[in-house]
Amino acid sequence: MKTSLKNYTFRYLTISLLAVLAIWAILFRSFILDEVYDNVDDGLKNQKIEIIRQSYVDPEVIKTNKFGLNQFRILPVKQEEYNEMNRLTNEMVFMPYDGEDEPYRYLRTGFYGKDGKPYALEIRTSTVEEDDLIYDLSMALFALYFFILISILLVNHFALKKAYQPFDKILKQLQSYRFGQSKELNPIETNVIEFELLQSEIASMINRNEQVFYNQKVFIGNASHELQTPLAIAINKLDLLLEQDNFEEKDYIQLAEAKNSLWRMVSLNRSLLMLSKIENHQYNIKEEVNFNQLIQETLDDYEAIFETEEIKIITEFNAEFKTLFNRDLANILISNLIRNAIKHNNKEKLILIKINHENELSISNTSDLFALNTSEIYNRFYKQGFHVESNGLGLSIVDTILKNQETIQIDYQYKDGLHQFILKK
Amino acid sequence: MKILVVEDEIQLQQTIVQFLENEKFIVETASTFSEGIDKLISFDYDCILLDIMLPDGDGISLLKELKKMNKKSAVIILSAKDSVDDKVEGLLVGADDYLAKPFHFAELLARIKVVFRKNHQNGEQNISYKNIILNPEDRRVLIDNNEVKLNRKEYDLLYYFMLRPEKVFQKTTLAESVWGDHIELVDSLDFIYSQIKNLRKKLKEAQAEADIQAVYGVGYKLV
Repeated sequence: MKTSLKNYTFRYLTISLLAVLAIWAILFRSFILDEVYDNVDDGLKNQKIEIIRQSYVDPEVIKTNKFGLNQFRILPVKQEEYNEMNRLTNEMVFMPYDGEDEPYRYLRTGFYGKDGKPYALEIRTSTVEEDDLIYDLSMALFALYFFILISILLVNHFALKKAYQPFDKILKQLQSYRFGQSKELNPIETNVIEFELLQSEIASMINRNEQVFYNQKVFIGNASHELQTPLAIAINKLDLLLEQDNFEEKDYIQLAEAKNSLWRMVSLNRSLLMLSKIENHQYNIKEEVNFNQLIQETLDDYEAIFETEEIKIITEFNAEFKTLFNRDLANILISNLIRNAIKHNNKEKLILIKINHENELSISNTSDLFALNTSEIYNRFYKQGFHVESNGLGLSIVDTILKNQETIQIDYQYKDGLHQFILKK
Repeated sequence: MKILVVEDEIQLQQTIVQFLENEKFIVETASTFSEGIDKLISFDYDCILLDIMLPDGDGISLLKELKKMNKKSAVIILSAKDSVDDKVEGLLVGADDYLAKPFHFAELLARIKVVFRKNHQNGEQNISYKNIILNPEDRRVLIDNNEVKLNRKEYDLLYYFMLRPEKVFQKTTLAESVWGDHIELVDSLDFIYSQIKNLRKKLKEAQAEADIQAVYGVGYKLV
C-alpha cells in the first residue's frame, strides 16, 4: 500500500513508540514499586522495634494475639519454631469494608519477651494506596503515549509540510519537465542540506541528459546533412546515365529503380533533417493561421492523388479553426495528417475532415487497421501495416511540431470504424 | 548562355557541368570562394549556381560581393542544408532562387530557365516546340495560335516537357517536380498516367504536332 512520507514515518513511530513506552513503563513501574515497598518495609521494621519496646513496658501488649486496630499480633511459639529473621511477604486479606481481598504487606519475625519466652510477631499494613499509584502511573503513561502521538501527527502535518515545501517544489518542477525542452529548473531556496543536494543532483542529471540528447540531435542532423551530398552525386550521375541512348530497355529500368531507391533515402533523410530543425527551434515565427484555408489548399494539391486512388473526401466546416502557428509547420502538420489518412486507407476509401467548432479539428479515415496504440504511433520509425514506402516518420513529425508550437494538442480515437486524429486548441 | 558553377564537391560539380553542357550551356567552374571571386570579377555570367558552404568562405558572402559589383547575373543557391534561415537569408541578399541538394536535373534546368527569363525581361519569353507555344509569364499555352485550357498540374507537366523535348522524364521526377514530394503516398505512380492521359487528349484535340510518349518502365517524353 502506498502512503505519503509523513504517514509512513507516523506508522512506524506509533509501533516503535508503543514498544519503547511499554519497556519504559515496566522498568519505571518496578523501580517505583521497589521504592514503595522499601518505604512500607522501613515503616514495618520501625513498627516492629516500637512494638517490642512497648511489650517490655506494657505486658498487656504481649497478649495481642489478634489483628485488631493495631494491625499486629503476637503469638507464643515453641523454641524450635522460633525465627528472628525479618520475613516480608505480600498477601491478600479479606476486607469486610468493601467485601474484597485487598493486598497487604506482612512482616514476620520473632523476639524474646520480658518473660524470656520466644514469641512470633506479625505486623501487616495495607498497600491499597500504593497499587492505586501504579494504576495512576499506567494511566499517565497511556496519556503520555497518546499525547506524543498526537504531537507527532501535528508536527508531521504542519512542521513537516513546511519542511518539505522545497521538496514539493522540486517534484512539481520535475512533473512539468519535458525532455528535450532544455529548460533549466528554477533554483529553490532551502536550508536543508539534503534538498539542496537533491536539487543540484537533479539539475546536473538533467543537464547531462540534455547534453547527450543535444549531441544525439546534432549527430542525427549532421549525419543526415552529410548524406545529402553523396546522395546528390549518386542521383545526378544516374540522371546523366539515364539521358544516354545506348542502353537497353531493361538497363534503363534498373537505373530508374536504383534512382528511385536513392530518392526514398533522400526523403527519409529530409524527414530526419526536418525533425532536427523543428527540435532546434528553427520555426519560431508564428502568425495566425487559418486551418480551414490551409486544409482546402492541401486538398487541392492532392486532388490528382484522390482522383486516381478514388478516395472520397468529405469536409464539414461549420466554424473557422484559427490559431497562432508557424505557417510552414502548419502546412507540414496538415499534409502529414492527410497523407497518413491516405496511406492507411482501405477499400472504403473515405477521408472525413470536420471542423465543428472553432477549437476542434478532426481528420478521420477508414482503415483495415484496428485501434492504434497511442503510446507508439508517434515514435520514430514505428510502422503499422506493411507500407514499404512509408518511412515511419510522418506522425513523429506531427508530434514534434505540436510539441514545438505548443498551441495545439492532438488526440487519437478509434470510433465507428474510423481512425480519428483530433486537433484541439 | 554562360553559367558558373561554384561547388567544392568535385564529383557533384562535374556531374552538374556535364548535364548543363548536354543542355548546350557554356559552363565554367569554381571550387573555392577565392576562385569564385576571381571568376566573378573577370567574367560576366548569365547564371551562377552557388553552393553555400565552401572550404574558404560561404556562398552568402560571395553573393554579397557579386551584388557590390553590380552584376546582373542570376543566382541560384544550391545548398545541402535545406534550412529556412539559409533560404531566407539567401533570397534577402539577392539570390533569385534556392534549390536543396539533392535535386533532379530537370528541376535545376527549370529553375535556371525561370531566373534567366526574369533577368531578361525584354528577351524571348515564350518556349516553343513544334506548333506548341508556352508562355510562362501568364501560364498560357497556344497551339497553332489557339489557346488551350489546361489545369494547373497539366500546365506544369507540359512546362517540364517543353523545357526538354525529346528527353525522357522519369515518373518520379515528374511527380516530385509537379506535386512536390507527395509521391511516396501512392503505391504506384498511376496518377501521373491519368494526368498525362488527359494532357495528351487536350494536345490531340488542339491538333498539336507533338505528343507525349511513354517510355516503358521509365517515364515519358515529348516528341
